[in-house]
Amino acid sequence: MTQHHADIATNRPLDEYVEAEVQRMLTEDGRVAEQGLTVSRREHTLILCGDVESVQRRDEIVRLIREQFPGIDLSVDIGLTRAGAPAEAEELS
Amino acid sequence: MIRIAAVGDVHIDKDVVGRYRPALEELPDRADVLLLAGDLTRHGTEDEARCVATEFGGLGVPVIAVLGNHDHQSDQPDAVTRVLTDAGITVLEGTGTVLDCGGTRLGVAGAKGFGGGFAGRCASNFGEPEMKAFVGTTERIADRLGEALRALDCDVKVALTHYSPVPDTLVGEPLEIYPFLGCYQLGRAIDSAGTALALHGHAHHGTERGTTPGGVRVRNVAHPVIKQAYSVYHLLGDDAEESEPGALVHAGQ
Repeated sequence: MTQHHADIATNRPLDEYVEAEVQRMLTEDGRVAEQGLTVSRREHTLILCGDVESVQRRDEIVRLIREQFPGIDLSVDIGLTRAGAPAEAEELS
Repeated sequence: MIRIAAVGDVHIDKDVVGRYRPALEELPDRADVLLLAGDLTRHGTEDEARCVATEFGGLGVPVIAVLGNHDHQSDQPDAVTRVLTDAGITVLEGTGTVLDCGGTRLGVAGAKGFGGGFAGRCASNFGEPEMKAFVGTTERIADRLGEALRALDCDVKVALTHYSPVPDTLVGEPLEIYPFLGCYQLGRAIDSAGTALALHGHAHHGTERGTTPGGVRVRNVAHPVIKQAYSVYHLLGDDAEESEPGALVHAGQ
């Protein structure tokens, strides 16, 4: 396991550099490897949106952000991608 | 009629194995073939590829895949391909394969594709070596896809990529990252070969439906976009004498 971003595990104001670091961590940290999540800021809150394939992955994302960016007000709107069979097909003539 | 099931960006690892299987077990009643549009794994390891093989192997319909960028993360795309191939999954990269679907020959050509951007707002093969390498990769992969599509001897052609061939199916993603989500060269390759349908993934926040400049239907089948285990597309063609669905006619290199 690589320990990324250990140097930034201090309370910091939520600015665009933090936003960029969170976005890159979500992709580049091997414990996450998620490119399909949206990171945005609203006033003093960091908002995560998107879908992941398991509850464990969502929990790990939240744990790592809280560990590496302590003090950040975090809003998590990450869903579990649905895996049911389709109800209908698309007809392409 | 040919029935094509498709999904991309399933990002399989141990924590996901078994999740898709109930829906996948229904495939023989729903589709003639399953196409996987890349990002099959999280980090492109052999262990994860074995999880993909467990989930998508032995389904009762042929499975054809391309790799995605995640499948290259560990620099072992050949090992990933070998594990999938050993499980009976056909992996395409600048190659094609033909299946007999009830008497109609379905040709599928596939490639991972790459970024680069779209007409008028794209990267150019110019300047620093790194930039030339980037766009050179874009062009080379697209050229091979076009060659593979044109070489298919079949009744109906489908293109399978990970990156998008058009911007239409990226709507919902930030405009600023379009150059990292696909390239117009893939669309040009698809338009060069009389393709009936183009399937891709990669853009999790994109849109399902689009068309190439040449009028080919494009569908983004990334799992978060389709919100189900797979989508099914019925390609309506000439009725032909029934034969065993999914029988392999020819596989490319």
